Amino acid sequence: MKRLLISSLLGLTALISATPPSVAGDSLVIYSGRSDKFVKPVIADFTRQTGIEVTLHNGDSTALLNKLRIEGGRTEADLFLSNDAGNLQQGSDWGLFRPIDGPLLTPIAKNYRAADNTWVGLSARARVLVVNTQGPWADSLDSIFDLADPALRGKLGITNSTNGSYIAGVTVVMLAAGADKTRQWLQGMKDNVDGKVFNKHSKLVSAVASGKLQAGLVNHYYIYRHLDAHPDAPIRMVMPDQGQGEMGIAWNVAGIAITGHSRKAALAEKLVAFLISEAGQRQFAEVNLEYPTRTGVAASGQLPPAGSFRVADVPMSALSTQRDVTLDLIEQVGMP
Amino acid sequence: MTSATLIRACRDFNPGRRFASLGGLALLVVLIAVMPLLYVVYNSLQLSTDQWFQLWGSRLPELLWNTLSLAALVAIGCVLLGVSSAWWIARRDFPGRRLATWLMILPLTVPTYVFAHIYTTLLEAEGWLGRLWLGLFGDTATLPDLYNIWGVTLILSLAGFSYVFLLARTALSQSTQSLEEAARIQGARSAEVFWRINLPLLRPALAAGLAVVVLHVLSDFGAVSMLRFQTFTLSIYLQMSGRFDYQAAAGLALILVLLSLTFLVLERFFRSRQRYYSTRQGRQQPLRQATRLETGLIWLWLGVITLLAFGLPLAWMLSWSWQAWSQELINHEFWGYTANSLLVAVIAASLAVIAAFPVAFYNARKRSTGSQALLQFSSVGFVLPGPVIALGILSLLLAQLPFLYGGLAALLIAVVIRFLPLAVQAQDAAMAQLTPSLEQAGRSLGAGPLENLWRIVLPMIRNGLATAWVLVFIDTLKELPATLILRPTGFDTLPVRIWIEASEEMLELAAPAALMLVIGTLPVLWIMMRSHGNDVGSRPT
Repeated sequence: MKRLLISSLLGLTALISATPPSVAGDSLVIYSGRSDKFVKPVIADFTRQTGIEVTLHNGDSTALLNKLRIEGGRTEADLFLSNDAGNLQQGSDWGLFRPIDGPLLTPIAKNYRAADNTWVGLSARARVLVVNTQGPWADSLDSIFDLADPALRGKLGITNSTNGSYIAGVTVVMLAAGADKTRQWLQGMKDNVDGKVFNKHSKLVSAVASGKLQAGLVNHYYIYRHLDAHPDAPIRMVMPDQGQGEMGIAWNVAGIAITGHSRKAALAEKLVAFLISEAGQRQFAEVNLEYPTRTGVAASGQLPPAGSFRVADVPMSALSTQRDVTLDLIEQVGMP
Repeated sequence: MTSATLIRACRDFNPGRRFASLGGLALLVVLIAVMPLLYVVYNSLQLSTDQWFQLWGSRLPELLWNTLSLAALVAIGCVLLGVSSAWWIARRDFPGRRLATWLMILPLTVPTYVFAHIYTTLLEAEGWLGRLWLGLFGDTATLPDLYNIWGVTLILSLAGFSYVFLLARTALSQSTQSLEEAARIQGARSAEVFWRINLPLLRPALAAGLAVVVLHVLSDFGAVSMLRFQTFTLSIYLQMSGRFDYQAAAGLALILVLLSLTFLVLERFFRSRQRYYSTRQGRQQPLRQATRLETGLIWLWLGVITLLAFGLPLAWMLSWSWQAWSQELINHEFWGYTANSLLVAVIAASLAVIAAFPVAFYNARKRSTGSQALLQFSSVGFVLPGPVIALGILSLLLAQLPFLYGGLAALLIAVVIRFLPLAVQAQDAAMAQLTPSLEQAGRSLGAGPLENLWRIVLPMIRNGLATAWVLVFIDTLKELPATLILRPTGFDTLPVRIWIEASEEMLELAAPAALMLVIGTLPVLWIMMRSHGNDVGSRPT
């Protein structure tokens, strides 16, 4: 027993002190806050074409950003991928990223990347309404502020207030319409949902399609994915606040940044170049039904083409600087 | 006040005393275990008075109320489920009694976040229970909602009652008959015997079982985050991840630790005032053969518990795993996650058992205020929420021991600190039966301290060591929050995959991972039950 114990102790020590062997050859590590299924197909293409292996270290965007910040120079991450521009800008503000070569990013419109090119948007999404086409509200909703109408009580679906897209959307409304109006709007929606909120956009869309709810606030692609799977579902997308003088839709991007401590910046840039190339961008458009950020690459034909609708005039960087103010507002109202 | 106890503990270790080296080791282990706490204290000291007031004004009352009422409700739920089932299994012989014991501990293999995920899925309109409900009450009926304190109570009670069951069963089957007989001779009726004899005798076991349950509730991350019930742990996580506010998180964590330590001290105080010695001379409680009616009722009750706590979750896992299997989604990556999980759990359990030994053994020898204090402080990791431990360890390692960073070390240190108290408690309990006379006999026969340790102490506490190992293994296998933050790059474990897949609603991928956790835990549970075999399989005499 003694010998067994000693030998297993020795074995343990060896195991613990051994760090995992760094992968030979060309390889990259991404801290990824996006769902595997949105990222893996494109990454697999990249590996097939270039032979560069990519490790996706999956997690919550904000938690990974925290980790990156604490790790400093010890980090293994070469890139940081997030589904929210707020996180990306926060990382830039903390000085965690290195600027990406300027000429590489020229095909990407200015509002889809950091002012200092420390991050670049890969795909954009709109915050829209999903409406049941057989119910009483089929044609009467055209503004997000309609969602606070007491007549919608018990018929409205929203996600819980820790959802990143939700927080970013509220930030845009706050900057475009003012804090007071936003507070009233949140209060009205809170009363309408009566404490019941969704963890997942997809479940919210299903509830509207089943007629249990009449309307909801979601990212646009969840509606089209639902329609892909159930072509006859009685739902449609409404782009809110499009009238003259109205605020337009809230817009957010998923994007990527190269970490300041990466020792493989050139390789990492290769990956970024691939993701914003026409081929890479088409994948985001077709597989994920998002809006490509590269000028000249069209969104999927089912979607209203980019440029055909009014977008709220709020810079992406505000999603980071105003985040705490938004969270305060959400907490004051006590959104579930 | 806490530092005063620590200082008193340190004073006991002046060299030259008999147990100095043992005490030194124990102190070292405890110092490592309180490292994350020191980090939390340091961070919360950065909070200004204004910020404390703000915390107090905005969130604390609600968090305190939510956390404490949840702990109380889950404790009640666990006692109801655990004691009732333990009573029947310890006191009646009925067909399938051995199986029943197993069925009552199998829920330990299912993590709380899996329970929460399964039950929310089952209760959707198209889920199994949802369809049943709508069929029973009509299509317009509202489905029961788990996103409230009752839902969380249900989930955590189902996931935790087994701890109460295990301890209550042992206490009930070991209590001697003579006391009960004496009471009966004095004319006490059954109810009176239960209240005045059985319940007081059960109290230490109940207190220990409830302590484990309450600590699990206080530190639970999985179920409360999935059901969005604001407890301290969830709020701390949201402060850290949503606002990047580590100081506010540390402030909340400090309050949570004080709360838990108060509870632990009360529990120990309560337990130390009651000591019940059972003498070997006392006759063991004989098992009464259950009548046919009793057998039916017993199995009805145990059946309902089993269905809810294990049957339904298992059926769900099997059905979705089958989908995954038929779609050939179970590939080498999946086996890689399984191997990672087992690797971490085996190493962490072994390290925790080794680390816990000096603390428990020192206390068994000294029984002083200092040794008791060390025992208490070794529990600190259990009550710090996983994310807080993880970030504390991360920062400390990077600042002080950067060469340890990058491999498994950070994760292992965090997990061992987190689950050390399970190992310490189990060993402490086992060492209670160590009588000094045995060791004195060894000494007089010429054995040195080390030989005594190998030939007398360790063999005598073997069961306690096995229990300690198994408890840490099971909890490590299910560990989520610290693993999410501290795992080496690309090193995914089963819980991490369950978390990722479930948040993407890829049920057919989450289910096989959950099933694998159950399968992986079975052999070690078997080892533990076998080491307690004398009363599991005890036959009527």
